Amino acid sequence: MRVSARRVLTGLLILAGLFTLTQFLRFCLPCRQPSQGAGEPVTVLVRDGWTVSSDVPMVFVGGVPRSGTTLMRAMLDAHPAVRCGEETRVVPRILGLKLGWAAEKEGVSTMVLDRAVTAFLLQIIAGHGEPAPLLCNKDPFTLKSAKYLAHLFPNSKFLLMLRDGRAAVYSMISRRVTIGGFDLSSYRDCLAKWSRATQAMLTQCTQVGSKRCLAVRYERLVLHPRSTLQTVLKFLGLPWHEGVLHHEEAIGKPGGVSLSKTERSTDQVMRPVNLDALTRWVGHMPPDVMADMDAIAPMLQRLGYDPRANPPNYGQPDPQVLNNTQRMSMKGSQTER
Amino acid sequence: MRGQKVSILLGCALLCSASLLYLGLSGIDCPPPDHAHRHTWADAHLSSTNQSQASPIYYGEDTPLIFIGGFPRSGTTLMRAMLDAHNAVRCGEETRVIPRLLAMRASWSRSARERVRLDEAGVTDQVLDSAVRAFLLEVIIGHGEPAARLCNKDPFALKSLSYLARIFPQAKFVLMLRDGRATVHSMISRKVTISGFDLTSYRDCLTKWSRAVEGMYSQCQGAPEGSCLPVRYEQLVLHPEEEMRKLLSFLGLPWDPAVLHHEDLIGKAGGVSLSKVERSTDQVVNPVNTDALSKWVGHIPSDVLHEMDDIAPMLARLGYDPLANPPDYAWPDPIIPPNNYTLLQRTETPHPS
Repeated sequence: MRVSARRVLTGLLILAGLFTLTQFLRFCLPCRQPSQGAGEPVTVLVRDGWTVSSDVPMVFVGGVPRSGTTLMRAMLDAHPAVRCGEETRVVPRILGLKLGWAAEKEGVSTMVLDRAVTAFLLQIIAGHGEPAPLLCNKDPFTLKSAKYLAHLFPNSKFLLMLRDGRAAVYSMISRRVTIGGFDLSSYRDCLAKWSRATQAMLTQCTQVGSKRCLAVRYERLVLHPRSTLQTVLKFLGLPWHEGVLHHEEAIGKPGGVSLSKTERSTDQVMRPVNLDALTRWVGHMPPDVMADMDAIAPMLQRLGYDPRANPPNYGQPDPQVLNNTQRMSMKGSQTER
Repeated sequence: MRGQKVSILLGCALLCSASLLYLGLSGIDCPPPDHAHRHTWADAHLSSTNQSQASPIYYGEDTPLIFIGGFPRSGTTLMRAMLDAHNAVRCGEETRVIPRLLAMRASWSRSARERVRLDEAGVTDQVLDSAVRAFLLEVIIGHGEPAARLCNKDPFALKSLSYLARIFPQAKFVLMLRDGRATVHSMISRKVTISGFDLTSYRDCLTKWSRAVEGMYSQCQGAPEGSCLPVRYEQLVLHPEEEMRKLLSFLGLPWDPAVLHHEDLIGKAGGVSLSKVERSTDQVVNPVNTDALSKWVGHIPSDVLHEMDDIAPMLARLGYDPLANPPDYAWPDPIIPPNNYTLLQRTETPHPS
């Protein structure tokens, strides 16, 4: 077939049209932000020649406060390969700051800002304690930003501590643990906020995916520490170490558990894992709140805690934990809440 | 004939839908914005020293940064634009995040209880400073093109001048000063919102200007010897070459005549990058000029004029006659050094003889 000039022209016009279309589409369709991994990882010099990069394995422990986050991190700290350390307090603040900036039109690009936040976080998380193969950070509310952290730290994993909201709220109110946004004079308010916060963190955890985020029940941790910790360590890719079941023996030791005098759970976490805090909340919920429980805190039902059972049956304890609990009550320890 | 046309059209339609589908599914990477070039300190260092290093270079506290700041509407953008025109310097636009981080850092140090809690957590001043340093360096370095001397201009960053001098011992500071009346008039007439400032009140703005400038100025005075240079906006626009020669000498930079014609390098590589959202952009595209010097005259309410020295004591301290409308900027009163100022006050109180 002879190719006429007209045909060639038509063909070229069609190609030109297609090209313009694709370029036009480029601007119309939502584009993918180049991942931070597109550049080199952020590296910081912590001290004395110790450098840390953003692609190191890391684990973030969090959840609504009073859900066993300190216990979990203390048990992990007892593992020789892990170092969490105390709550840094500043990590959630810079994450909050970043969240506020994202909404505005700032002078720096998102990529640069992300790298800057990463550098800051690395310096704090690495710098506030000793080096370890697996660095860990426990600031409860960081799990509200799990997705963002997963993006900044590509080899990070997340442990979301979940607990019966009634127990968590009873603990914060009776111990007067001030938490931003929670009205400690109202069980109703705290339970509603607990439910919302738990839902937000669970959503983040689901979005990060089961390979990188594991939800852990406080009740299961204290009732069956061995099997629960086996699951956790497997999830983190760490070998088993008996020391995690006796974290109280590693307190204050090098490579062990460092506690803060000003943190609210320190006095509890100095003791071996026990059942004391499981059902203390029973009998302390105001009756009107108990009547509306499911409406106030829908996450209770969603997580499998019967909102009308006071308390639900959390399960039967392992003998070792029962032993610990009995030993401590025999020692005549002061009434804790 | 018709059949062929139809099949060609069909073929095009298929091609179109196929590419649409492909693009939609696979997603397109966002085109990199103009200044999102990631430049590590290593790149900047390597390009300026023309050597390859075996070991990677890490961000350090010895980076000789330049921080430009001062009260907004005091010529800070002009100053950084002129420096940007220098072939060895890159400032770039305001980052806006740096002052916020510095303010947050300052708030953590202010509460004694918080300091105890942070110390208990191992988050010591040293750890916090390393973190702030790392953040600042990532922002400043990644913010624009590489350069031998990196610079940052965020006006209120100099509210933390002393702190910055501590965490970056090799840094230099350029504090822009200007007649507060001109500054405040600029703010109010151009409706440049600054949090805490009531743009309907000259009195309020002048009072707060005085307090803010006093804070920054005293930090500049207290900074290590030779690290902070106050520069007067009026002198900069009246005698640009003289002022820039002084400035470049202070910064340890060679003379570059380009600094006197920053307007020629706007939008050019290695030149002056301007922000579409910043409030001074429309002014700084012009060459250095004296247009804005006395625009404020006649706009300040008379009651404020009468009480000017009480409202804004920093005017007199910085050598701007509070009763002259306007003062003769060409023959400036000297800035009163702190020692002489207290002496002056003492001689003013009558001694019983």
